[in-house]
Amino acid sequence: MSEGEDGTDPAFVADSTVVVENASVWFGQKVALSELSCSFGPGVTGLLGPNGAGKSTLMRAITGLIGVNAGEVRVDGRDPRTDRDVQGRIALVPEDEAVPAQLTPRELVRYVADLHGVRDPGAAERALDLVDMLPAADRRLRGFSKGMRQRSKVAAALVTDPPVLVLDEPLNGADPVQRVRLTDLFRSLGAEGRTVIVSSHVLSEVERLADRVLVLIHGRLAAAGNHRAIRDAMDDRPRHVLIRADEPRRLGAALLRLGTVAGVSLTDAGLVVTTERAGALAVAVAPVARELGVRLREVRPLDDSLESLFQELVR
Amino acid sequence: MSSRAPTERRAASPLTAIVRYTVRACVPSQRWLLLLPVAGAVLFGLLSRLSDETAVTAFVRVGGTALHTLVLPITCLVIGDALLGAEIRSGVFAFTWLSPVRYRTIVIGRWLGGCLIAAAVLVPAAAGAAVAAGAPSSAAPAAVAAVAGAAAYLALFLAIGASFKRPVVWSLALVILVERLLGAALDGIAQLSPGWLAQSVLVGLTSPAADLQREGIPSGWAAVGRLAVVAAVGLAVATRRLRSLRPASSAD
Repeated sequence: MSEGEDGTDPAFVADSTVVVENASVWFGQKVALSELSCSFGPGVTGLLGPNGAGKSTLMRAITGLIGVNAGEVRVDGRDPRTDRDVQGRIALVPEDEAVPAQLTPRELVRYVADLHGVRDPGAAERALDLVDMLPAADRRLRGFSKGMRQRSKVAAALVTDPPVLVLDEPLNGADPVQRVRLTDLFRSLGAEGRTVIVSSHVLSEVERLADRVLVLIHGRLAAAGNHRAIRDAMDDRPRHVLIRADEPRRLGAALLRLGTVAGVSLTDAGLVVTTERAGALAVAVAPVARELGVRLREVRPLDDSLESLFQELVR
Repeated sequence: MSSRAPTERRAASPLTAIVRYTVRACVPSQRWLLLLPVAGAVLFGLLSRLSDETAVTAFVRVGGTALHTLVLPITCLVIGDALLGAEIRSGVFAFTWLSPVRYRTIVIGRWLGGCLIAAAVLVPAAAGAAVAAGAPSSAAPAAVAAVAGAAAYLALFLAIGASFKRPVVWSLALVILVERLLGAALDGIAQLSPGWLAQSVLVGLTSPAADLQREGIPSGWAAVGRLAVVAAVGLAVATRRLRSLRPASSAD
């Protein structure tokens, strides 16, 4: 792991509320986390990783849902697995869709509020309003879409006003409008000084959500820092960009003459351009197409999926 | 007329919240399913009329036996799995587990909620069976026996739910192999068996023919006391097991 700009390890923060030290978790023969060390503090931290990277396991260990087999996890200096009082300071929005189907969102939020001893009678309504669930608050969760279930779970987490909020793929299933709304909400919670840990396997999603990012691969920490630093770390690696245009052969030949393009290939999906300077290519491609009179239909980086990013990081 | 606005609601204690949640979450949306145990019990009550014995003795021998070997354990098995095992499997239990509420309170709340559901089903079932058998005087003893037996069963099923990944299989093994097979032969097992003890409560409180009283196990209110002990042990085990529980996620 590279050091941060100020010489500190980017996996750790100075004012940490959650500390993970050499944590290992395994399920039978499968190692889910391997000697992972990092910390989380106020603000939004993104946990990135492909499916099976160990993000959910780390989040469940942080909330105490599972214990670590080796190492330790501390929240405010206490063990979340054994100290029940820690649960009053932490909330989890689990990834899975499981919800008490018989309940309505209002009943679920009130239930969680009662368990946490929330005395403010308006807390449940405010939490539901924050995620725009008041109009559907009295319908049963059974009939809800994935996005509405997620929002109901977010409301249940927010009703306790937790200093530490752990969100496992919270935008899954949300429509574009709700994504923006939830993203703004999580960012504002982080700006209030809460420790917000949010996982995703979509790079662009995490870029919008979090300034600080931890990348997990195979249960290990592969990279840490802000998302720009992680992208910068890949700048000298070849990137692939898909270009769909009316005359891909002519466009490909013209692009090859640019110094920024290392190679082109024509595929069924379109023209795939390999470059080590994706930014320069992005600037150049439109003028070249205009000059040729070629109509561009789509320009899309193929490496933006985290899987390809991770493949680069672990190569 | 005024209606209470949602924001005027008073906060409930964690125990009350858990009991309320349990009743709300564990009752199936198809409410008619709750009538099945009642229908079964009444059917067995009617079958009691085929006997030449007195109505009370016939009810205890036929209706009571069927109630405590079939209706009671199966009803409790379904409710008991919904109390904990099903929630742990689906990942829903995390909503309860991730709170500062003590494990003891969670277990007792779940158990009380389960007992309320069981009582709502089994009291009409037991009373209906007694009336159908022509022994209405046995309705109250039958209801007491059913509720006491359910309390013990549910505590044991909670302990199993907190201990095993396949609680329904282990609960069935407890009822069929341990209670029915071993319990029929060994008094030591029957002395701790909710099914046998519930039947013994009914026998002791109705005073039917002497041959219905199984020797070696308490009867009447003494059996109720024994069921309370079994329930307490079950709840203690469930509480202890909850400490080491790894609540699953649906991805597991």
